[in-house]
Amino acid sequence: MPGHFRFIDDIALADMAFDAEGDSLPALFDAATRALIESLADPSTVAQTWRQAVDLEAPDIETLLFEWLGRLVYFKDAQGVVFHQATLSLAPTFDQPGWGLHAALTGAPVNASTQDLRSDVKGVTKHLYTVTHEGGTWKARVVLDV
Amino acid sequence: MKLHTDMQVVRIHDYLWEIPPSEKPGMLVPARVYASPAILAGMDRGVFDQVTNVACLPGIHRYALCMPDGHWGYGFPIGGVAAFNLEDGIISPGGVGYDINCGMRLIRTDLSRSEVQPKLELLMTELFRRVPAGVGSRGFVNPTRRDFRDVMRQGAAWCIAKGYGWDEDLERIEERGCLDGADPAHVTDYAIERGINQLGTLGSGNHYLEVQVVSDSGIFDRPTAAAMGLTGRDQVVVMVHCGSRGFGHQVASDYLKVFEKAMRRYGISVHDQQLACAPFRSPEGQDYFSAMNCAANTAFANRQVITHQIRNAFEAVFGESARRLGMQLIYDVAHNIAKVERYGDGEWLVHRKGATRAFGPGSPELPACYRAIGQPVICGGSMETGSYLLVGTDQAMQDTFGSTLHGSGRTMSRAQAKRAVRGDQLLRDMKHHGILVKAVSMSGLAEEAGFAYKNISDVVDTVDHAGITKKVAELKPIGNIKG
Repeated sequence: MPGHFRFIDDIALADMAFDAEGDSLPALFDAATRALIESLADPSTVAQTWRQAVDLEAPDIETLLFEWLGRLVYFKDAQGVVFHQATLSLAPTFDQPGWGLHAALTGAPVNASTQDLRSDVKGVTKHLYTVTHEGGTWKARVVLDV
Repeated sequence: MKLHTDMQVVRIHDYLWEIPPSEKPGMLVPARVYASPAILAGMDRGVFDQVTNVACLPGIHRYALCMPDGHWGYGFPIGGVAAFNLEDGIISPGGVGYDINCGMRLIRTDLSRSEVQPKLELLMTELFRRVPAGVGSRGFVNPTRRDFRDVMRQGAAWCIAKGYGWDEDLERIEERGCLDGADPAHVTDYAIERGINQLGTLGSGNHYLEVQVVSDSGIFDRPTAAAMGLTGRDQVVVMVHCGSRGFGHQVASDYLKVFEKAMRRYGISVHDQQLACAPFRSPEGQDYFSAMNCAANTAFANRQVITHQIRNAFEAVFGESARRLGMQLIYDVAHNIAKVERYGDGEWLVHRKGATRAFGPGSPELPACYRAIGQPVICGGSMETGSYLLVGTDQAMQDTFGSTLHGSGRTMSRAQAKRAVRGDQLLRDMKHHGILVKAVSMSGLAEEAGFAYKNISDVVDTVDHAGITKKVAELKPIGNIKG
């Protein structure tokens, strides 16, 4: 089942926050990724002329999601792009305890005349940041600084 | 009076309130909030929770303060001010903010509204073209990595040397646009890669470039206004609000990680993970201070490049040199910063997070042109309601570590604002009210609607009545550029 997300109003007055959840870790990561991508621009207006493969490892899921979302913000500024989609896979790391992520990210250079641009997210914060696994559902709460 | 806190809040006077240290375990000093009774009643719970969290931080001196534009922030509240002992106190990225040296800049002109109004559409189009805004925007400077390291060290002076400004601009920038101790060795490659193409860009969120008018009736203190170059008579000025962009944010994010580990090493515990901190004198604290100064200098440079582009736009539209148009800088102030400053018989590390330095008359740090009157304080309001120019006072030096407010402060979330109005409708409404808006994002525009903010006049009146800054002039928008 695909994960889903919703933006929430009442916990970050000047910024943005979302809850993401899924019945698996890939579904959670996919939902959180879509939330961030849609914060930046309507992905249906963003072509797929820019591609980037990403490999990340972290000692735990919470850190991996935080680092991954932060990497999207980095590409937005460093490459001057917004995103269409990300295809993700997750797996435990072999050499040491932890998790690895492989992502194929697509998008296009920012173009205000063809893309529906939204908020220039400056970063992912640790404010109220949580990743939980309860009753078979993975959930994350993320506050974005804009 | 019903407040959004269960803590005891004691009235000092009608514009100042105190939360005693008995109200939260670990508070080392009282917390003080500058607010009228009505503003205090409207403040969210986060203000009270967070300013009292700040009062628990090691080495804090006298008070944890919050200004009347205060609201919930990351770690410190927005509007937060706190001074720490240099020897056993801390430094915290949460006390500076993610957008290091976000700040305000105000440029005067000799033009009147009647001269600008017929060309306003052309002027705003030219400004919109020359000052990139919004998601992923890139500036024209294209510095090399070596250049960018020089920007980190030299701040606004680097821009002047490259021809992006006038020599006399420097004396009208806080700290002459360059903080000492900035060493690029303490900045990550990620931060450099995020920031290197962003010099001269506005960003988005609440950042803006605004063409404003100062009417005769909008001047409250004529001699002080005149000393700052404002004469009224529908005089046109230009205000800029932006900071260090992705570069500063990456510096803050990088050091929050460092400080989470450092706190364990130094045995520091905090009420909120976003208050991660380290002893100022520790290697981690000094490294962050150096990196923060790099970001601060880059923000001064960013606003300097934008000033250059503003002058170019006016020259192109009005066919006169910027000097003949009288486009001198009035002042540039940081409102997200930590600096070592002297008060009384000691030096303290003053954190201002959504708060502005407001040095009073006679302060040796001020340029000769302002030493007799005090430091100009630029307070940005919402894009619909206008802004204020104020001046620092002796009382601020005594009571608030020479600090005051920075803006009007939000009261409504971005999502609520977007539900209340569509960006295109707001654009039409503002045009109907005489404010021409150029925006990259319509949803971003809706998020910044005037009703999402406190009434700036009420907020400014609070600091004026409290005596920590005095009103000089009101600035009304006629044109606005948003990311």
